[in-house]
Amino acid sequence: MLKNEVAVATHRLTKRYGSIDALADLDLEIAAGEIFGYLGPNGAGKTTTIRLLLGLARPTEGSATVFGMDCWSDAVEVHRRVSYVPGDVNLWPSLTGFETLSLLGNVQGRVDVDYRDDLIARFGLDVSKKVRAYSKGNRQKVVLIAALMSRPDLLVLDEPTAGLDPLMEQEFRRCVHEAKARGQTIFLSSHILSEVEALCDRVAILRDGRLVEVGTLSEMRHLSSVTVEVTVAGDVPDLSQVEGVTAVQVAGQRIHCQVQGSIDPLLRALSAVPVTSLLSREPSLEELFLALYGEDRGERRAS
Amino acid sequence: MTASAEVSAVPPFQLERSPGSLIFRVSAGKAVRSGLAWGAVYGIMVASAALSYVSIYPHQAQRDQLELLFGSNHAASALFGPGNQLQTVAGFTVYKVSMTLMILGAIWGILLSTRLLRGEEDAGRMELLVAGQTTRPRATAQVLVALGLAVSALWAVTALVTVVTGRSSSVVFRVGPSLFFAVALSASALMFLAVGAVTSQMAATRRQASTYGAIVLGVSYAIRMLADSGAGLDWLRWLSPLGWVEILQPFTDPQPLALLCIAGFTIGLSILAVHLTGLRDLGSSTFRDRSHARAKLGLLRRPLGLSARLLRPSIIGWIVAVVLSALLVGFVAKAAGQVIRGSSVEQILARLGATSSGANSYLGMAFLILAVLVAFVAANQVTAVRGEESGGRLDALIARPVSRVSWLGGRTALGASVVAAAGLLAGLFAWLGVLSQSGGVSLGPLMKAGVNIVPPGLCVLGLGIAVFGLFPRLTTKAVYGYVAWSLLIEIVGGIGAVNHVILDTSVFHHMAPAPAVSPNWTAGMVMAAIGCAGAGAGLFAFRSRDLKSE
Ligand SMILES: Nc1ncnc2c1ncn2[C@@H]1O[C@H](COP(=O)(O)OP(=O)(O)OP(=O)(O)O)[C@@H](O)[C@H]1O
Ligand SMILES: [Mg+2]
Repeated sequence: MLKNEVAVATHRLTKRYGSIDALADLDLEIAAGEIFGYLGPNGAGKTTTIRLLLGLARPTEGSATVFGMDCWSDAVEVHRRVSYVPGDVNLWPSLTGFETLSLLGNVQGRVDVDYRDDLIARFGLDVSKKVRAYSKGNRQKVVLIAALMSRPDLLVLDEPTAGLDPLMEQEFRRCVHEAKARGQTIFLSSHILSEVEALCDRVAILRDGRLVEVGTLSEMRHLSSVTVEVTVAGDVPDLSQVEGVTAVQVAGQRIHCQVQGSIDPLLRALSAVPVTSLLSREPSLEELFLALYGEDRGERRAS
Repeated sequence: MTASAEVSAVPPFQLERSPGSLIFRVSAGKAVRSGLAWGAVYGIMVASAALSYVSIYPHQAQRDQLELLFGSNHAASALFGPGNQLQTVAGFTVYKVSMTLMILGAIWGILLSTRLLRGEEDAGRMELLVAGQTTRPRATAQVLVALGLAVSALWAVTALVTVVTGRSSSVVFRVGPSLFFAVALSASALMFLAVGAVTSQMAATRRQASTYGAIVLGVSYAIRMLADSGAGLDWLRWLSPLGWVEILQPFTDPQPLALLCIAGFTIGLSILAVHLTGLRDLGSSTFRDRSHARAKLGLLRRPLGLSARLLRPSIIGWIVAVVLSALLVGFVAKAAGQVIRGSSVEQILARLGATSSGANSYLGMAFLILAVLVAFVAANQVTAVRGEESGGRLDALIARPVSRVSWLGGRTALGASVVAAAGLLAGLFAWLGVLSQSGGVSLGPLMKAGVNIVPPGLCVLGLGIAVFGLFPRLTTKAVYGYVAWSLLIEIVGGIGAVNHVILDTSVFHHMAPAPAVSPNWTAGMVMAAIGCAGAGAGLFAFRSRDLKSE
């Protein structure tokens, strides 16, 4: 794999179902080796995007490429370098787990057999069982192992940990780190924000088929406010007029406020008073996510 | 003021009146609507048969002629059921509609009961309804009551139309016998609703449940076919549910005693269905297969091997059905042929170029049934293709380096091979059947007759693939609908006059009745070419569309 290669690129990618814009004008670029988080509420268009990337659905407009190859017209070539974990797991009920894995490995055309057996052991999957008899979580393990065992250049994961217990989720995170260490690219759609926060280099947030935000977590944090708690000795200064500072609450010597953008103006305003402690906390992805959707909900209600 | 009074009158929660009967109400709505619609179809068939008879054959002499031609024709009665008193409106009406409606009713019964009992469950809706409301055997019993209502609706509409038609001065059906006639027409639907209820409990999926039901129907048809073929096996009729319906003989010579068999069969199966429900888990079959198995990887190297493995049980089932039917046909050919000798059927076939013996004439008619079976084999292959897509399992293959064209092309080729094998085996086993009775028909013509029934199957397969490519969600309905339509046209067209444009739409109409006449290879090639064109169109369309689940 080339350094600085582009793993995934979409250009005005659009999918319409009747009059619904499931995905509208998506422009994304994901570099090889990146772990890219893809977030959005239910019905935002995450699965739609993934189906377009895999050539399971045809774009209404625009295009998508994976490693420079068109996702629709060069689908078979693309698929040699990609593995996919679907959001809805549908397998052949009469095959056993092992039969399923060996079928999917044969069809994929490349399998790291040692790694596969290692994964089976790590996920604790009983592969002699028929798929019909698996629980939801165990079915999820089958598709996860099937995707990881071929060590593809790009892993496309649609809510891969749905149904996994916390221990298995930890195991999954280890697998993702291993994949990254080997230079594989990962496209991860998820509802579990802590997972995305822990794993992803960059994150895109989608709503109603449109891209709302994309960037690294720290870039995104700049967009949101930081929570600051200051304790001063002496007079409490009036901070409500300071640039970027909102929601000022004073309790005795303690001041609690939100800072939007640069924290510099606040520090300058505080320079006149003796500060005994200053705590600032960046928002979690969850807070970011809720803030974004909180706003959107409000807007929608207003319109 | 009024507004607030109204608001406070509404209870805080809209409580379900009686949650225990929810399943009954949901099922009854669907079932009764379907029963009423099919009652209308039954009524139209009865009325049109009676009214066209009086308009086409106004004179007694013509009617007597009809009785002479078909009344004691064993080849025709093997296919369409026995004809009694064809010189009367009532006798002819019974003859013309009974077999068609018996088969349609049975198919309706199987599809409706497997849909309500198994389809809902496969879709996971049953779980929602059953949860906390009632026990599963009770839920099944509720659905069965709803199905009973559906048959009552079917009967009521049929009876009403028959009685009204009977008031026409040229027809004249009395009310009592008309009601009994409607009972006879509804009986096969009733019994096969119960059959579907039992297979719904035994099978692991709705598709499998319908297939089991279809096998019961096929066996019932074959048994009564033997009984009606004039080989002195009339008693066999008592062993077939369709035979019991024939024994009823409404209008001409009513035998209500057979109603006991029909009622006993239905009640017995209903009780069995409720009992079996209690023995199995939701979403599984009664005969639970082992949850662990040793891996057999032989066929799992490529997608086509997977298809072969998945389809193996159903392919074997269909091939066995074809082989047994062919054997049976060959077995009775000699006896049935002796009866036909010199009859109108032989004369008609002679005009088509037949030069051969009675047994050959009989086989010419009987291979039509085998052709229908082979067409169903083809239809089944197409629905299996769609099943992989609608169940979402195809995604796992197409998201890997498997081209759509090679996948669908492989499935189509597999289907075509199965159809061809079915045709050839039909020829071979019909010959074995004939041989066992020293029937005097040699292997060559029967193998040709076997090849002759392949093109209609290929045509159905190719057209089915075209629908799959273009309108995937219609696949199953379209392909089974087309085979059923073709069969219907052929049965109706075999008895009375049907517009030739309509006749031409039947895939079976273009097939020469080999071995009674030599096969029309040109027509065969055309049908095969239509199939190829359809498959090509399907492949082309499939290449450029989204994969669509349910
Ligand atoms: N085959 C289809 N036909 C019609 N509409 C569709 C189809 N598939 C998706 N949609 C619509 O497109 C929109 C996006 O759906 P999508 O499945 O991509 O959402 P998602 O982000 O994956 O949601 P979730 O988090 O619930 O999985 C939804 O409004 C959905 O109703
Ligand atoms: Mg989704």
